[in-house]
Amino acid sequence: MSSPDLEAHVRGTSRYIDDMADPAGMLHAAAVTSPSPHAELRAIDAAPARALPGVVAVLTAADIPGLNQIGGIIQDEELFATSTVHFIGQPVAVVVAETFHQARLGARACVLDLEELTAIFDAREAAAAGELITASRTLDTGDVDAAWADCDVVVEGRADTAGQEHLYLETQAALAIPEEGGRIKVWSSTQAPTAVQRITARVLGLPMNLVEVEVTRLGGAFGGKEDQATPWAVMAALAAQRTGRPVRLTLNRHEDMVCTGKRHPYSSDFKLGLKNDGAIVAYEVHLWQNAGAAADLSPAILERSLFHATGAYFVPNARIHAASCRTNLIPFTAFRGFGAPQAMFVMEAAIDRAAEVMGLSRSEIQAKNLLSEGDEFPYGMRVKRSRARRSFNEAAGRFDLAAVENEIAEHNATHAVVKRGAAAMPVCFGISFTNAVLNQAGALVHVYTDGSVNVSTGAIEMGQGVNAKILAVASAALGVPRERIRIENTTTRTIANTSPTAASSGADLNGSAAGLACRAIADRLRSVAAERLDTPFDRLSIADGVVLADGEPTGLEWNELVWNAYTKRVNLSAHAHYATPGIWYDKETEQGEPFAYHVFGTAILEVTVDCLRGTSTVDRVRMVHDGGRSLAPAVDLGQLEGGLVQGLGWMTMEELVFHQGRNLSDTLSTYKIPDLLGTPVIEGHFLDDADNPKAVMQSKAIGEPPFMYGIGVYFALLDALRAFRPDRKGVYDAPLTPEKALMFLHGDR
Amino acid sequence: MAKKKPIKDAAESGVTRRGFLGSVGAGAAAVAAGVSTRAEAIPEITDPEEMVQIALTVNGRLHRLLVEPRWTLLFVLRERLGITGTKAGCERGECGSCSVLIDDLPRYACLTLALEAEGTEITTIEGLLDGEELGDVQRAFAEHDAFQCGYCTPGQIVAAEGLLRANPAPTDHEIRHGMSGNLCRCGTYQHIVNAVTHAADGRRKGGGS
Ligand code: FES
Ligand code: FES
Repeated sequence: MSSPDLEAHVRGTSRYIDDMADPAGMLHAAAVTSPSPHAELRAIDAAPARALPGVVAVLTAADIPGLNQIGGIIQDEELFATSTVHFIGQPVAVVVAETFHQARLGARACVLDLEELTAIFDAREAAAAGELITASRTLDTGDVDAAWADCDVVVEGRADTAGQEHLYLETQAALAIPEEGGRIKVWSSTQAPTAVQRITARVLGLPMNLVEVEVTRLGGAFGGKEDQATPWAVMAALAAQRTGRPVRLTLNRHEDMVCTGKRHPYSSDFKLGLKNDGAIVAYEVHLWQNAGAAADLSPAILERSLFHATGAYFVPNARIHAASCRTNLIPFTAFRGFGAPQAMFVMEAAIDRAAEVMGLSRSEIQAKNLLSEGDEFPYGMRVKRSRARRSFNEAAGRFDLAAVENEIAEHNATHAVVKRGAAAMPVCFGISFTNAVLNQAGALVHVYTDGSVNVSTGAIEMGQGVNAKILAVASAALGVPRERIRIENTTTRTIANTSPTAASSGADLNGSAAGLACRAIADRLRSVAAERLDTPFDRLSIADGVVLADGEPTGLEWNELVWNAYTKRVNLSAHAHYATPGIWYDKETEQGEPFAYHVFGTAILEVTVDCLRGTSTVDRVRMVHDGGRSLAPAVDLGQLEGGLVQGLGWMTMEELVFHQGRNLSDTLSTYKIPDLLGTPVIEGHFLDDADNPKAVMQSKAIGEPPFMYGIGVYFALLDALRAFRPDRKGVYDAPLTPEKALMFLHGDR
Repeated sequence: MAKKKPIKDAAESGVTRRGFLGSVGAGAAAVAAGVSTRAEAIPEITDPEEMVQIALTVNGRLHRLLVEPRWTLLFVLRERLGITGTKAGCERGECGSCSVLIDDLPRYACLTLALEAEGTEITTIEGLLDGEELGDVQRAFAEHDAFQCGYCTPGQIVAAEGLLRANPAPTDHEIRHGMSGNLCRCGTYQHIVNAVTHAADGRRKGGGS
């Protein structure tokens, strides 16, 4: 049993924002958006919209009482474009009307007077033109220039990865309700309620204490509702403030695909130097991140790319350059992995190229260079409790990688058309927000006089199971069964200044805070019990709703104890704050300890390609994952599988296509995600004895790392393709769709 | 609240929470296009006289209401009848979140007009309970953790129910094919297969409905 939402989910009674009953007098809002990727916006003629039935208001930048600015890290993004539009889908106004349909007709009726400007869509071109979001960054370790001379082999190449649509099944949604005294209540489908609160306050010209943002749960997010939920919530709030009526803004799927940010496309050049035995000596890489038209979270994502550029490997001499490039595409944003997958793909490509040139197997080079205890990352941190080698060896052993490789070689030698391939994919992923400030969380716990408990934190439940984990922590810390505890909605009124639920850290941070608050109350209750039972405090504990003395039941039960404490006027509520200790980073020197710890694991992936048609199947993926001591094993298994499936999609079928700035893959009929038929047999194993003193109850974060197991599928496919076309060198341009496979199999270049 | 309003109110105002064409056709494209000059979508009916009276049987209960001929069953279930277990994921027949049973067959409610569904037995996730208790497929999904965010879950369960009604003893292959019209972005597919397999076993042994 994984989730406190279990019953409601299968009954269909779980509420998402669009399921909430409409408040009386509610209006609908729809954005007017730019049809041009780059243009001077000379005028907005809203008169035709205002003349339509049902249209109540058309709001533009001129109607904003506060600042027309929604940028987070860098304030470079207007809520409504004023003089220039920078991408297709950029909001310029919002139409508020009586019905969903009327709002959309109104949005369409607005006439924009635009003067087209030249646009850039390619990251490398943008960099050449000096269009950078922030100054580019370089990590430098060892002496790369000198090291090339020590290498027996040096390979170079280019690697590209396309973007990825989040396709959370619940689209972006918000419901804003004006309350008394100018207060605004916003229900938002966001991973970052405080960000929505802060920016709503900024745009509406209110102090933050007049804006409340509440979230029950999200129907999936994957990073796509970290910054990208904000504009829609702010528009709804603005419309509510201006009209004095509740306003709902829900994007339909097509709007969501056109108007919201996605995973960043990256383009990279790599150079890898090795000894003849496969030992990596030096690595240099240039990463060009296509940031789109505004910063959004791009600088933070770029930072994680820098930190993960060497993957799960030790590279003594490395130089990693990364540039965040401004183009006229949608602002790209957070997506599971947060820039790490893009950088790790390049490292794997470099290893693949080296294996190709040297005639070694890829897994041999991988295994030789895995991180060992104490190895230093290019950002100066030394790896502690490295389980890179352990998980690789366990995967290779448990799944008999050598036998799989032999069997495939044999198959390929005897089959002309249907070829198979396999790859190992080791992952090392750093846990903590790289922006140290965000590594804090609060929790508020109330015990009511009937013994029931409410726990509030800043964590957002979006399917990743954070509530199940917080429940496990609270239940253990208080000593009461889970059924007595309810995990509350997340609201900025209860928990202030929350960090987004992101970076896989939701349970680490909020679980820790909840544990602290619960223990504070448990200690007070033990004091009450000590007096009542006339037993020293230290000998008492509470477990499963019963007070124990030296581990033996005393007969004093939780409910009675709670009531007893109440009558003695003991505080049955506690707030706690948690800040991850010991993490820091100095951007000047590009050195520090940005992560509390790392997560490790290895996947073995097997594929089959029909080399006549270019079609392929992923047959089987088996993983050994370092999950720490799991707070919720069923949740972690689900994350392991789900992350993998998304990674497989990114590498094989999810093809985001832009033409002149227009997203051509803007519906589910033109953008394919894995379905049940495309999902392989998946086997996930967790390392035993994998304690982690750096996180709550020895657990480990899990959300993002499994995504990167999917990268292996690219190389497994490439092996199968090269078995058919041994004359061709590998190309590194993900996703490897059937179309691209066909071109590889039957093309000349 | 609007969702619970009696039929009369809906007829009077013609107010809709979500217009079908706006979300499916020209309207949506135009939001992206902003200044598109494409043909106008059909305006909403504001005259109650032009609405059509229909009777829908949902989960065994008869509902009489006025609808615009273009309203989808999904729209009517969610916005007129307040039955919100059926989710909108794409409103274009591409994701399966809106799956309902129409006379035992799984159908996308977003591609079914409410008018077409008159005279049929419509079953939504809410109709799969066994009294107050979870139905067998619901129980199987719960026991096998066949969900994460839960948004696709009602559609998955309804699709599984439809599959089992048509084929009480599906093979693994038939389950995978039968359920492939329902996307799960959280990637719970393996658990879904396990849940459906388990539910099918239960029915074969005579445990289920
Ligand atoms: S909402 Fe009907 S299939 Fe997606
Ligand atoms: S559980 Fe989230 S989409 Fe299926």
